[in-house]
Amino acid sequence: MTRSPEGESPDNIDELASEYVLGTLPAEQRIKIKKRLAQDADLQTAVDAWEQRLLALTELAEPQPPSALLWRRIERSVNSTDRRASGVAATAKPTSWWNLLPLWRGLAGTSLVATLLLGSILLTRTAVVNPTTYLVVLVAPQNQAPGWVIQASNPREIQLIPLEVAQVPADKVLQFWTKADGWQAPVSLGLVKPGQTFSVPLDNLPPLEPNQLFELTLENPNGSQTGKPTGPIQFIGRAVKVI
Amino acid sequence: MQDLYQQESARLLGVAKRIARDNALAEDIVHDAFIKIWTRAASFDPARGSARGWIFIVTRHLALNFIRDNAREVQVSEHSEMALHDLASMQTSSGNVDSFDYRARSGRIYVCLEQLEPARRNCILHAYVDGYSHSQISQKLGTPLGTVKAWIKRSLVVLRECMG
Repeated sequence: MTRSPEGESPDNIDELASEYVLGTLPAEQRIKIKKRLAQDADLQTAVDAWEQRLLALTELAEPQPPSALLWRRIERSVNSTDRRASGVAATAKPTSWWNLLPLWRGLAGTSLVATLLLGSILLTRTAVVNPTTYLVVLVAPQNQAPGWVIQASNPREIQLIPLEVAQVPADKVLQFWTKADGWQAPVSLGLVKPGQTFSVPLDNLPPLEPNQLFELTLENPNGSQTGKPTGPIQFIGRAVKVI
Repeated sequence: MQDLYQQESARLLGVAKRIARDNALAEDIVHDAFIKIWTRAASFDPARGSARGWIFIVTRHLALNFIRDNAREVQVSEHSEMALHDLASMQTSSGNVDSFDYRARSGRIYVCLEQLEPARRNCILHAYVDGYSHSQISQKLGTPLGTVKAWIKRSLVVLRECMG
């Protein structure tokens, strides 16, 4: 079912849109389509039409009363988003993604969910596990698909372990960064090869902190020239202390 | 937004729960959907559908993303597929009986679903409502994977023609 985006007939686009909306496409294809939607007006129109056609079927799921906590949670998140929005608006549009708090908070939330899930999988699958003190799941910002896990069995060294082989354009490299809450700027931990485990001694850095940010950005072959991330984030997550 | 929550949260949670099959996860998904709606409200284009529809669509896709990304699915091997097929021919019930109570509903889609055979209708509904993948539907109905894929493809074309 994989087709090149070029030379697709309207029927093909409609078929792709229908299976995307129905939900039967596998994860990789869903991700591809989501990326395409932003630029492909025909596909977007076809998807919108299918969403409207099938929308009434949502009635078939029995309603379920939410817990009392859910609205309060939403309210809290919305309020913090608002406060940030007004702060960000003052500094005008070209705010660097690094300062986009909604992004970080959203990602922290989703990666926490992913972390707990993955953590429980790791714990149940492995008979003898070193006493890991920190765990980070790095997810792709667009779809929250987990791509890497960071394990820190001791606070002086971390291991970046791939969950899949990340796709990197031929003329780019993945650069690994970290930043704890109190730090001025992110620090490079080196260049990472897709699909390979990468160990980093943290000798020159303070010990790991809860909530410490880790990310992989796409940079030019020798890494960022400015010493700070310049390219788009491919994977991102925050450190969670494992009890 | 609180109005939207009061009116729709139970139904949204129903949609998310059905796909995610977990209460806490479903609440996370509905939470994320509301935040997404809130932060992107400015980009909402009424020409593309109602705001109420939008949040159902967002919720459903968040739930689908979650299960597709996290499920490391066990593919049905050819061997077990044949076994399933045999099983299915013994228990013909799964193919000929509707798994969903879709008749009492109004809406064009329900009229069009009538045109499909029950087994094909079940494929569409398991996919949309339960978020089942092709192979999960194949296992559920005891129908070979290739057949399920072909049924779904053709059923979508039928629905498209029927609904315009």
